[in-house]
Amino acid sequence: MTRHHPDTLTLMEYSAGNLSEPHALCIRLHLDQCPHCRSRVDTLDSLGAVMMESQPQVGVSSDMFDSILSRIDSEPDMTEKYIQSQARRMSPLQKLLGDNLNDLPWKRQLGDVSVLDISERFPGQSEQVVLQKLAAGGKAPVHTHRGDETTIVLQGAFADQKGVFNQWDFVVLNQEDEHKPVAVGCEDCITLSVLSAPVKLTGTFTRLLNPFIR
Amino acid sequence: MTTLDQKPARAEGRKDPWSQMLEKVGKNQDRQAYHALFEHFGPQIKYYAMANGLASHAEELVQEVFVSIWRRSCLYDWRKAAASTWIFTIARNQRIDMLRKMKRTSAEMPVETEDLWQIPGENDDEPVTSLHRLMSERRVRESLSHLPEEQITVIAKVYMESKSHQMVADELNIPLGTVKSRVRLALNKLKVILQDQNV
Repeated sequence: MTRHHPDTLTLMEYSAGNLSEPHALCIRLHLDQCPHCRSRVDTLDSLGAVMMESQPQVGVSSDMFDSILSRIDSEPDMTEKYIQSQARRMSPLQKLLGDNLNDLPWKRQLGDVSVLDISERFPGQSEQVVLQKLAAGGKAPVHTHRGDETTIVLQGAFADQKGVFNQWDFVVLNQEDEHKPVAVGCEDCITLSVLSAPVKLTGTFTRLLNPFIR
Repeated sequence: MTTLDQKPARAEGRKDPWSQMLEKVGKNQDRQAYHALFEHFGPQIKYYAMANGLASHAEELVQEVFVSIWRRSCLYDWRKAAASTWIFTIARNQRIDMLRKMKRTSAEMPVETEDLWQIPGENDDEPVTSLHRLMSERRVRESLSHLPEEQITVIAKVYMESKSHQMVADELNIPLGTVKSRVRLALNKLKVILQDQNV
């Protein structure tokens, strides 16, 4: 059961369709596993509908409905195709990363930490999108974050001074959050993070050891 | 012509007229009901496109949304969302999709818009009857009428103009904290705020 949820304002920006693709992915993955946040998003989607209905309305061209009808007539089997395509739909994570997170081409960074930069899967986005793997029982170096870092736990769990973050927990860290996460449980902990700016190491580690500064 | 003034059947007491019409489109490909939905929601969606800076593509967006409504209507379930909520999420996704396609080719998009933003009731194994879902739109509409104008203005800019809280603050020339607190106050009244962070 997830215990760490996205902030309501973030869910509102999601519902309004204003988040970047990587941020929306983090929310979507959390929603898939969190009925509580799903119900908050349902209400927010209704808010969107009510806002849309309370705004001015603009007349549409008189021939538009006819062109819509001729479009749907020219593709009569679309409904059936649509149902089939929905049935085949994979989870976004599977689509993006395949079936086994442990088999990805991880790059070992230091001791217990491996990373994989998947930013290029989101072309045109300014954020860095990174998978991080902390070996079971392993520790990451102390670090803070420049700008906001949105993280969702994809596998296993990690703990820091703020608590334990389990699978599908959602957390946003910023420059005030200096932390030293430890992977807890018997599985490697894998997280997906969206970084608006590179992480800054605060310990004695050199910048070479920092996975996010090359 | 339309069924707007017909009394809904007893078992369908919670179903609003637009949801009934959308269901007819899904079950019977009812073109009269489809046309009624178009007359009602088309002008709303056109304004939505224009407010979002898509003025030169506004009618294109309306068309895409209605073609999408036709294709998906067979999956529409009134117990999962009211028609207007369902149509809003389709309009939102088509807007995101249009902007994404303007920026790049589909080959460059491994993740589709609908992998990221879901339409209520699709891909969703929630128990079908959720009172919360049925009530949410009605409750939102009622609560919204009691909100102060300044809160509604901020929410309208987020939903209708896709502005971030920071952009709203800049535009209204008020601090970011003020924008956020207005949104929080509003969402609190709409009961969207999580009462207990550790649920």
